[in-house]
Amino acid sequence: MDSERDAEPSRAAPAVELDGVTKRYGDTAAVDDVSLRVREGEFFTLVGPSGCGKTTTLRLIAGFEEPTAGTVRFAGDSVAGVPPEDRDVGVVFQNYALFPHMTVGENVGYGLNFADPPDGVSREERVAELLELVDLPDAADRDPESLSGGQRQRVAMARALAPGPDLLLLDEPMSALDAQLRERLRVQVRTIQSELGITTVYVTHDQEEALAISDRVAVMRDGTPEQVAPPRTVYREPSSRFVAAFVGDNNVFAGRVVDVDEPVARDGEREGTTRIAAVDVDGETLRVAIDDATAYGVTPGDRLTFCVRPEYLRIGDGASRLRATVASAEFLGETTRVTLDWGGRDLVVRTRDPLSGEVVVGFDPADAHVIAADDG
Amino acid sequence: MSYDDTTETRRRFLALGGAAGAIALAGCSAEPTDGSDGSDGTDGDGGDGTDGEDGEDGTDGEDGGEGDEETPTLTVATYSSFIDAPSVSPGEWLKEEFESRVDAELEWATPDNELNYYVERASSGVSIDADLYVGLTTEDLVRVDETLDDDLFAERGEVAGFDDVREGLLFDPFDRALPFDTGYVSLVYDGTATEAPETFDGLLADEHAGALIAQNPGASATGRSFLLHTVHRFGDGPDGVVEGGDGDPEYDYLDYWAELQDNDVRVLGSWDDAYSAWSEGEAPMVVSYSTDQVFADMEGADLEEHQIRFLNDQAYATPEGMAVFADADEPELAREFMSFMLEPDVQGQIAERNVAFPATDTAELPDDYAELAQEPSEPVTFTYDELQGSVSEWVEDWERQFAGN
Amino acid sequence: MSDANRDAAGGGRTLRDRLNGRLRGRLLTALAAVTSVLLVGAFYYPVGTVLIEAVLVDGAPTLAVFGELLRDPFYFGELARLFAGESPVAVARGLLSPDRRLGIVGFTAYQAALSTVASVALGLPAAYLLARFEFPGRRTLRSLTIVPFVLPSIMVAVGFVATFGTNGTLNRVLGAAGLPPVDLMFTLEAIVIAHAFYNAPLVARVTTAAWESVDASAVETARSLGAGPVRAFFDVVAPQVYPAVLTGAALTFVFTFGTFPIVLALGGFELATVEVFVYRLVRDLNYAEAAALAIVELAISLGVLLAYLRYEARNSVSSRGVRPLPRKPLVPTAPTAREVLPRLGLAAYAVVAGLVFVAPIASMVLASVTGGDGALTLEHYRFLLDRQRTGAAFQVRPWPAIRNSLAFASAATLLALPMGVVVAVLTTRRYRGRKLVDTAAMAPLAVSGIIVGLGLLRGLVFGVEVAGWRFAATGAVAIVVAHAVAGYPFVVRTVAPGLEGLDRSLIESARALGASRARVIRDVELPLVWPGVVAGAAFAFAISIGEFTATVVLATGADAYTMPVAIERFIGRRLGPATAMGVVLLVVTGLSFVVIERLGGETRGL
Repeated sequence: MDSERDAEPSRAAPAVELDGVTKRYGDTAAVDDVSLRVREGEFFTLVGPSGCGKTTTLRLIAGFEEPTAGTVRFAGDSVAGVPPEDRDVGVVFQNYALFPHMTVGENVGYGLNFADPPDGVSREERVAELLELVDLPDAADRDPESLSGGQRQRVAMARALAPGPDLLLLDEPMSALDAQLRERLRVQVRTIQSELGITTVYVTHDQEEALAISDRVAVMRDGTPEQVAPPRTVYREPSSRFVAAFVGDNNVFAGRVVDVDEPVARDGEREGTTRIAAVDVDGETLRVAIDDATAYGVTPGDRLTFCVRPEYLRIGDGASRLRATVASAEFLGETTRVTLDWGGRDLVVRTRDPLSGEVVVGFDPADAHVIAADDG
Repeated sequence: MSYDDTTETRRRFLALGGAAGAIALAGCSAEPTDGSDGSDGTDGDGGDGTDGEDGEDGTDGEDGGEGDEETPTLTVATYSSFIDAPSVSPGEWLKEEFESRVDAELEWATPDNELNYYVERASSGVSIDADLYVGLTTEDLVRVDETLDDDLFAERGEVAGFDDVREGLLFDPFDRALPFDTGYVSLVYDGTATEAPETFDGLLADEHAGALIAQNPGASATGRSFLLHTVHRFGDGPDGVVEGGDGDPEYDYLDYWAELQDNDVRVLGSWDDAYSAWSEGEAPMVVSYSTDQVFADMEGADLEEHQIRFLNDQAYATPEGMAVFADADEPELAREFMSFMLEPDVQGQIAERNVAFPATDTAELPDDYAELAQEPSEPVTFTYDELQGSVSEWVEDWERQFAGN
Repeated sequence: MSDANRDAAGGGRTLRDRLNGRLRGRLLTALAAVTSVLLVGAFYYPVGTVLIEAVLVDGAPTLAVFGELLRDPFYFGELARLFAGESPVAVARGLLSPDRRLGIVGFTAYQAALSTVASVALGLPAAYLLARFEFPGRRTLRSLTIVPFVLPSIMVAVGFVATFGTNGTLNRVLGAAGLPPVDLMFTLEAIVIAHAFYNAPLVARVTTAAWESVDASAVETARSLGAGPVRAFFDVVAPQVYPAVLTGAALTFVFTFGTFPIVLALGGFELATVEVFVYRLVRDLNYAEAAALAIVELAISLGVLLAYLRYEARNSVSSRGVRPLPRKPLVPTAPTAREVLPRLGLAAYAVVAGLVFVAPIASMVLASVTGGDGALTLEHYRFLLDRQRTGAAFQVRPWPAIRNSLAFASAATLLALPMGVVVAVLTTRRYRGRKLVDTAAMAPLAVSGIIVGLGLLRGLVFGVEVAGWRFAATGAVAIVVAHAVAGYPFVVRTVAPGLEGLDRSLIESARALGASRARVIRDVELPLVWPGVVAGAAFAFAISIGEFTATVVLATGADAYTMPVAIERFIGRRLGPATAMGVVLLVVTGLSFVVIERLGGETRGL
């Protein structure tokens, strides 16, 4: 009877669900009324600047902290009061947290003191299996101190996975590594995750990493997720000025609507719902496509905030054009990231060709994404 | 008395518990305070500093509960050196002798806090668990009577040998405590290093600067006796209650001590501190007992280095008494023990083994005893009434003058 | 793939595993509860029954006793005027004047401060020697440093008189060298040196442990950045050693603030401390004043501890000795100033240490083989044998004393370790007021021993009446508990700083891997702070071996006395038998420590 009841909702219920979760320390809320659902087998990332509450959210899921209010559910069941050791989670920390008094093998095998290895294999086999998985087949007898940063990180992964947890929690696991290693490792992490199909919650402050690795991303700010969506959506259609600015380079504009066109066809699917608004930004009139989803009922006089990704700002082209001066340039190899000075504000563009002096940049209405509109 | 009932039940319970053995081993006990089981065991227990004869393995509760109902047990409380001193102590002899004369078992109890332990028991409302106390001083009685509302000790009652007790030693005005020996606090000095002065005033002479070691009157019996002797000698001031033997009402004991302090008297903590510093030659004179030569002789030490001086031919007398606890289970047996203590041969043995002077005129002592154990021509002491209400103040005033920082 | 993994994971833990896990998860809570019960039962409640008398006279609450005490210049000197309502300016002026009165409390604090300085001054060179140099017998020497800690004051007094007295070793040496004699006895200096004798080893031990866990690579980094060895010491080594020095200093102050018999034995009544008066007041059954004085004493000691704990919390050093600094040979490797000077300094220190530590102990040993006529003899040891063979059952005999001491100390250490570790774990968690909890947990170090003795008498020996039943505890079990309560603060103090410095993610990783809180302590935290655990165990053992007050109160007659009790019993007119027993104590303790520290391992170098 119990098993039936257990089995049924676990299919339907999200692997992890936060329902109105708040965590207060004294007067400050580190996590403020968060509701999130992480699906079975999903790679879910919490991203945001430091102090946004992402790590606290992870710790609430792990059971290192108990929420001040709200409920955390695993597969539909509340885990309130369940200590971390009984939650079947694997955790990997930023600093690896390998036990310095144990060998690599003892580290990986530690969790097997409390749970039999999955698939009925022996403890030794399981340790070997995991070290194989993270590409460190001969490291079992080594001291953690003797490993490089990247190797330690992989040992930490192996250790977290060894008991076969239901959920993998990764807290900034790569921030202590150099950029190249980080990129290599994140591919490896994602590969392992897909292979095992294990539900994973990943915390990082690095938006690029978040976009690269995740099925879905929650961009957090001041203890609340501002947007929860697949990386592509978060990138293309940020829901707030904060998300727009935080995720990738962006050029955010704000101005007053002076005119709105009749609906025109934008693309095949959304025929009739897209209109073009003329917006006055610091005396320059810019043309922006608006749709009902983001800017329903916009009328002249309303304030409109929108953004244009650097790659959509084109040199000497586009429906709306701006005259700006080159302020600085960073050569990135494939492209050059150029910062322009437009009437005292920065604009970022990406080009293949070197730029200098005064340039004209422009964009098409459809390449602008409206973040917010209000009648204030 | 309020704790009479609980005493009985407590003992009964422990007699049973002791038979089981487990409680004595664990050392923890829980007993009903108003229970009413029917056992008549009257054994003491191992839980309060009672030194049972067979106490080594924690089985001391065992023989009381079963079988030995014919042999009553007398629990005698005393200070530890009375039964266990490195040199000699009367405890062992007294126990054997008493048990051979009387059909009873004698158990010693030597709690570390001595008499105060029983005062605590009484004021905490727990049973006394002893039949009589051996080693009471006048001051003890004063302190007990000031602290407790109820009587800790019973009246003396019928004790054979009472009439033999030397005159002047009976220190209890309420006739509870009966003296069994006495001692005198005097100066002991190293005759090869100095010649001790004959009077208190002599101690103030330059030649005796830094030459005397005394003890803290707040913690040591000899220290307190010496202080009391100075009070007796110099009085406690014009508004005081004691008129000094020096005949000068303006000059009191504190004035004397001020001069003594100027002359570098050392006041150390305990008698042990003082005596060992004296033995090491830190100073040639020490406040101690007038029986010093008895010990020195036992050890084969040079008696020239162990001279006795009675200042102004006096010494402070410290009679030791015994009294039956009001709460005693075996009051008659306790009185029998008191009679036993006053018998001539026992008095002699106590004097020798406790290195003190007998309390009776009839004591049988070795002939040479008086040669080494010296008595002053004029013993002085304060009575119960004189000490009552004054002694704490004398000590405290002295402390405040001597240690003023 | 996903489902397979889930099933496999589900198979990893059965319901029974989970239930077991729950029980294990409660283990820490259970240990904390047991610790609290023991502390309340064997310390806070008993002590409370006495301290309450300061504010509860004849059943009525009052602050009169306190008020009178605080306004008494005898105790508080010039400060008493402040409590009496005089202006702070006038009091400050009084304090600055040359004929100011410190009062007994002020003097007690003053001598404690001097003693602390002396103990640190004498302890640090020893720590330097033990932590940084390698020489034959180093580990044994290190083990033996605890010995002064357990000696009864009467033994120390004997040793000191024989060493520093008019006819003592020092003066004989000075005389032979044609120098004028030094009159040290019955001075403040004598007390301070005696306190250093007791406490410098404490400072040395805690400092050595910290020094040994300084990471060599940190020093090497500093050197590579251009810091000279001296600079590297002050920049890298010193900051990691300071907290330990301060631990030693704070504990020394608290101990010497509550000093009692040694002060009167070596100083005399002019130098009486607060505890002398607590003793007299208790003896005279004047409990209200005694309790008030003891509370003042306790407040000052706890104030010092609290200040120290706040410092400790701010300065916890998280670096562990991954690779300890290599020890240097005692013989200089090159005739350079840098090589030779420190060793010359140590040689000079050895002379001082020989006088302060070795000579008094040697004098004590000598006294144990010296007869009444001054000739060498074994009669005192024969006395011990005789007493063992022929002593009456109710008399104290040497062998049971030795056996009991070792049994109680072992049991008390085994009990104090989990108690100390649990309290250390609880006080290194972050929550409001945890420093106050930590301070309260240190109270057994700071409460007047005399008050504890009286409290144990009331609380344990007489027992507590609950619902018609009287619960009492005496004998071996009660003694072990009382000793553990007295010793566990050392475990807390030696373990807590290490725990505080541990990376929390280590603990959380282990928990996420399925380990209960208690299991994490066993598997991860304790191995990582092992030197502190061993140090704490050593102190707990030493406290138990040296304990006297609680033992005599709780000992059930002839079957539960220990070596210090035997020493006290054997003190007579001649000190020979007592010193012989003292030497037995010394040897037994010394051997125990060599064994304990061999068993514990030196530092499980990390």
